[in-house]
Amino acid sequence: MRTKAATILLLMILSSTISTANPGGEGDAVQSRDCAGSCHASSSTNGVSSANLSIELPDEIYAGLLMEIQTSVGNVDVSSNSMVGMAILINSDGAKDLPANSGWEIITDPNGGMNNYVEITGSFSSQNVVTKSWTLRAPSNPGMYDLFLAVQHGSPNGGVAMSGISSLIQVEVSEVPENLPQLAPDWTPMNIRNLGEETTIKLETLNTDSATVELKIGAEISEISVDDGEFTIPAAVNPGVVEWRVVLEGEGPTQTSPWFRLTAQEPGWEIDETALYLQSIALFLLCAGLVILRRPAGDGYQKNYHDTDPLSTGFEVEATQVTDQVPVALTQESTTSAGPPIPSEGLPAGWTMEQWQYYGQEHLDKLARGEIL
Amino acid sequence: MISSGTLHVISTELTIGMFALSGVAFLLCLLKKGPQSREAVAHWALLGGLIATPLAIFTGLNAAPGEGITNPLLANKMLLSTTSAGLAIGILIRRKLGGDIDSRHASIGMISVAMMLTTAGMGGEYSRNETLLYFIPKETVLIFPVWASIILIILGTVMLGKSAIEHRG
Repeated sequence: MRTKAATILLLMILSSTISTANPGGEGDAVQSRDCAGSCHASSSTNGVSSANLSIELPDEIYAGLLMEIQTSVGNVDVSSNSMVGMAILINSDGAKDLPANSGWEIITDPNGGMNNYVEITGSFSSQNVVTKSWTLRAPSNPGMYDLFLAVQHGSPNGGVAMSGISSLIQVEVSEVPENLPQLAPDWTPMNIRNLGEETTIKLETLNTDSATVELKIGAEISEISVDDGEFTIPAAVNPGVVEWRVVLEGEGPTQTSPWFRLTAQEPGWEIDETALYLQSIALFLLCAGLVILRRPAGDGYQKNYHDTDPLSTGFEVEATQVTDQVPVALTQESTTSAGPPIPSEGLPAGWTMEQWQYYGQEHLDKLARGEIL
Repeated sequence: MISSGTLHVISTELTIGMFALSGVAFLLCLLKKGPQSREAVAHWALLGGLIATPLAIFTGLNAAPGEGITNPLLANKMLLSTTSAGLAIGILIRRKLGGDIDSRHASIGMISVAMMLTTAGMGGEYSRNETLLYFIPKETVLIFPVWASIILIILGTVMLGKSAIEHRG
């Protein structure tokens, strides 16, 4: 029996597969490149990705203003789930590499969130290039900044986690020209909305005389009027993304914002948390009370039943059959409240009465079976 | 600095390990098999698991993305874990008061353990979207009206108070 069990256990161990990656991904997050054991094991066990990685920047980047960049991933063969983890970083050291560390702010990532690491499922292949848009707010101080695009993905045959990072891309962030029409530095676009709800967005601008909003749905671009700095995007019927941008006119040169993406999704799951917490407390107290209320055995307490009663009855019959084999004679008097009758020679050595009440029947059964001599 | 996620893994493993040990010992109690120490193991392991449970809950709440309870799995986890903790505390107090370790006592202990293990399984489903408990309807949350919960709280408190008075008497 032991040999069979050991063999089955060994077969189960040998049938396990060895993988160094998390094939399902870890989910979008703000995270460093060196996620180490959390998703791709030790970096020393990773393979080197063959992906061609690039970041396309706008012509002018002004300090503290919103901008759009395009990241491209090409020439890469991935695992069967076609997933690539893509991260915007500021160095290739694997530490202190989050964009926020040098003043960048992720306003909208390709999945509609605000993370520097996103997982994209797309048509990645050695013949294809997948391009994604990110909306960032540039650091508030002018100067030269570094950006990198890093990727993590599986391999076509599985088993090896691939990791890659682009070459250094230097970004020049300029001082904002005087009188430049612009969105206010602390204004942030909305990324998510619920299905079936019109979305009214209030613009906050500086040095701007007039603003026009362009809405892109699919390939079609339409204009939306802006009244008192507010405009309304029609409700979405199906989950999806609409893009919009604003053209700002004033004394300075006319400015066009990056395309902002607004993702429509099903309303999130909601619950009355007060009711939930109250119900949790109620269940806790009720269950504890119900269990405790099962009264303990004590002096003077007449129990309706006892587990050992049917067993005792059975034993008396059995005992008469095995009297010749078992050198134990039972006294006729039974115990007062619980447990089997005490043998004539008394309790086994070292036993208390309470132990006899709980374990006595089991002890007698073993004696009857000859397991105890 | 250790993240809440890592602390949650540590505290969860502590909790689940001790609850699982307790469950095996309660099974032996139910079957009336195994060493006599099974009763002590069942109850002490249950106590250990209960002590680690609050740490698992708080680190889990901190580790969960977003604010509040935004997923039915989380709501069911809360209901299951508090129910399990209630049963476990009831079992321990009853034993402390001298209650028999009969088949019903052992069964309630096993139910408590099963609920806590299911809670942990749902946590795995929440974070990795993978589970062996696919047959349990975890997307449905049964919420009582507030007034019903208040009545149950009063009822539970009265029962606890009654048992304390009976024991003192």
